[in-house]
Amino acid sequence: MKLVFAITLFALAAACTHVAPYERGKLAHPTMNDEVSGPAAEHVYAVHEGATGGGSVAESGCGCN
Amino acid sequence: MRVFAGLIALAFASVAHAQEEANPAEQSVSRKDHGEHVASERTASSTKLDDTSTKRAAFTVATYADDDHVTVFTPSISGVIENVLEGASLKGRYIVDVVSAASADVVSTASPRWSEIRHAGSLEAKYKPKNFGVTIAGSLSTEPDYFSFGVGSEMTLDLNDKNTTLAAGFGFGHDDVGRCGAENSPAGTPASCTSFGVFQRVVNRTSFNFGLTQLLGTATVGALVLDVGLDSGDQSKPYRYIPMFQTDVAHAAPLGASLAWVTANRLPERPLEQLPLSKRRVSITGRLAHRFDGSTLKLEERIYGDNWALFASTTDARWIFDAGKRVALWPHARFHAQSAVSFWKRAYVSGDAPGWDLPTFRTGDREMGPLWTTTAGGGMYFYLGSAAEPQKSRLTIQLDGIYTSFLDDLYLTSRSGAIGSISFEVEL
Repeated sequence: MKLVFAITLFALAAACTHVAPYERGKLAHPTMNDEVSGPAAEHVYAVHEGATGGGSVAESGCGCN
Repeated sequence: MRVFAGLIALAFASVAHAQEEANPAEQSVSRKDHGEHVASERTASSTKLDDTSTKRAAFTVATYADDDHVTVFTPSISGVIENVLEGASLKGRYIVDVVSAASADVVSTASPRWSEIRHAGSLEAKYKPKNFGVTIAGSLSTEPDYFSFGVGSEMTLDLNDKNTTLAAGFGFGHDDVGRCGAENSPAGTPASCTSFGVFQRVVNRTSFNFGLTQLLGTATVGALVLDVGLDSGDQSKPYRYIPMFQTDVAHAAPLGASLAWVTANRLPERPLEQLPLSKRRVSITGRLAHRFDGSTLKLEERIYGDNWALFASTTDARWIFDAGKRVALWPHARFHAQSAVSFWKRAYVSGDAPGWDLPTFRTGDREMGPLWTTTAGGGMYFYLGSAAEPQKSRLTIQLDGIYTSFLDDLYLTSRSGAIGSISFEVEL
């Protein structure tokens, strides 16, 4: 996992090529920005996994497990 | 103040536009009858805010079921008003969970099958006219024995011609834990809930996040999010009783020991769960999205650790393929693995009566034990809009199978489940 993290950091740091606004057609594709997982699936993951993070800062809790 | 001004402007523009659309005939007549005023009206109307916002609404129904006799039915509605030109958006969601359970945990406490309804809502407002933006959000969740709310704010700053975005956020959550059940009710009466004034545990959650989003090319975007959190309060479940054993019996407890084995071998004492009263947690989440010719690959990796010694890794991948102009479909895979909290025991040891000498911390929550979970499935988009803009409305169907292996637990060694959902989203 440390390796995955290191690779991600490296990719972010090293691949900072400048993308002009007119070059962002692919980045603007709807599937690039969709939140595909619905709230129910996210909730199931939250209950099944003893880990949190990466979501909204204003999430409420529940007595679900 | 600029945030509120922008949101008010957005709401005003939407309402003004809706009123114009609602009375077109009346407006037409009025203008004919007062021809001399038309020019001045047009001049006045040109100073009005044009409604350049988009409005989307979605209705979703999801259901979950597993072989531990838990079923959940979850309808939800959501809506978004967004004005890209103004940089303002308003999102809202309302969700209902109808839960029915007769899991091993319920059976082991000799409780009957129970059903419960949870209502949850959230609201998020964002204002980002230029490179700096502010988001404020709130959420609410209520069950008969649990009430929770969360508020938060996040600031974002675009740099380097919007190739880089920095984000920093703060969130606060407050939970009131109550208690319901037959044992709180007089004999022969339906199960009822103890008033929060009589039984209440409070849990407060504070969190900070810091994010970096970076364009990595003309078709690739990456993001890193660091979350740091502090939970304070007693999160122990007031229903979860923990079986206790003598030392030699505990060491011999088999993985997935049956309810009959536990009942036959446990000590008479059966205390409630007790967790530490605070938890510090940190997670790092990395996301990568790449648009190929005809498909989009989305990857996510989250690494989590807390001071209860739980360490976890979660990997999620989804590859969305365009299948013509009106259909897209994807496979989805997710893998989660975690270690146990430091005080985790398959079978806890206590002494003899009357002192018992119970372990300070004890839990039966499987999600605090060692486990791995794998999810596999997929989904489809059906774009139902006009020929010119098919993506203006769409139907989404998803189905995932979830398998969990519990590596050091009583009662269960695995759990298999499935979650499916159908969602209809339309741009109004």
